[in-house]
Amino acid sequence: MQHPHAELSAYIDGALDPAARAAVDGHLVTCAVCRAHVAQLRATVALVQALPDPVPSRRLVPRLTTAPAWLAPLRTIMTLASGAAVFLFLASALATNITPLATSGAPGTTAREASGDTAVKGQAPAAQPAGAPTVTPAPAPTASPYGAFAVAPSSSPAADNVVRGPATAAPDKRGDTSTGASAAPGAALNPPDAARTTASAPQPSPLLSPWLWLALAIICGAAAIALSRRLRASV
Amino acid sequence: MTGAPDSEIQLLIERARSGDTRAFEDLARREERALYRHALRIVGTTSDAEDIVQDALFSAWRSIASFQGLSFRAWLFRIATNRALDHLRSRKRRPELPLDPPDDDDVTWAEPVAAGPDLTQLVGDREALAAVEAALGSLPTEQRTALLLRDVEGFAYEEIAVITSVEIGTVKSRIHRGRLAVRNVLITRGWRGSDG
Repeated sequence: MQHPHAELSAYIDGALDPAARAAVDGHLVTCAVCRAHVAQLRATVALVQALPDPVPSRRLVPRLTTAPAWLAPLRTIMTLASGAAVFLFLASALATNITPLATSGAPGTTAREASGDTAVKGQAPAAQPAGAPTVTPAPAPTASPYGAFAVAPSSSPAADNVVRGPATAAPDKRGDTSTGASAAPGAALNPPDAARTTASAPQPSPLLSPWLWLALAIICGAAAIALSRRLRASV
Repeated sequence: MTGAPDSEIQLLIERARSGDTRAFEDLARREERALYRHALRIVGTTSDAEDIVQDALFSAWRSIASFQGLSFRAWLFRIATNRALDHLRSRKRRPELPLDPPDDDDVTWAEPVAAGPDLTQLVGDREALAAVEAALGSLPTEQRTALLLRDVEGFAYEEIAVITSVEIGTVKSRIHRGRLAVRNVLITRGWRGSDG
């Protein structure tokens, strides 16, 4: 018998009729080559069967109940809302970045700006002509976090630690008297004043928060995608 | 249908034929992943395979009244296979391969070029599985389809003949040629076959 090569796959699948199967069986007893081929085909089948199972990314069984009529308009609304929220996110992000620049120097400053102001003015004694009286609008409480910036009487240990040296410094090289503590006694040297300044500043509207719009854009976008999938899976 | 008694399947089929959408969805869900892997290995792209399976299942629902003869699973695979093959024909990306070369008993059996691991020890070897996947992808579509229906989905030759609308002798030839091609790819990559 010739090598029954073409029959070997059907042989291992049990798809041969009894006579053909008996013939192949008889051949395999005497033919090592065909026995090896049978083993190789079986191994090949095992490899094909061992291939990993891919998983679809979405539901493939159609929803045979008709989707509600309001689903399509809702998807459109959600898509538009998502787009609008993205626009507002960008606009509010720009606005919040521009606003501090526009308001710097204006009465309504933030706490950070107020303390920065104070820091500048903390060097005011340097601007005082030698021998000029040191103006202390308010005694600096030693426990105050602003103490380091305050111009305290020389009897104050805390102030001594902070303003030592500059009190005897040369006249203001910048000539900017407005930075002197005496020029703006109530501007920012005093912590309570700074706090008042901060409290009186207009609070930014929550509508200007970019994160609000970003969150809204994500929510609306996710809803639009979910609705699209639901509609796609429907009849 | 795996893991479900025939009587339960028959009941679901009867309910689906009488218009019970939930019964059909239940039946379809059982074959969803198998249909997807089959379609994916025929057309090669996930999004196309998903669309094909979804369309095939919807088509099956519309024509369930005409279902008869085959097993329900084979019937679903017939619809999905036809859709996948139609998709390939319409895409025309692949060169027109001779789908069924003339039968020839002297199909080449490649011989090992060097000593390598036994084929039977390669199950689970990622490199070997990738080579098998690539070899499957290089097969003529009809051979690949028949091979997958037999070796992955476990259909009998008679069922494959009905699913692919060809004679059983053609099914036998396609399966054998497909297996031999995959085997030859592995052998030429340095793996020796088992000596049986």
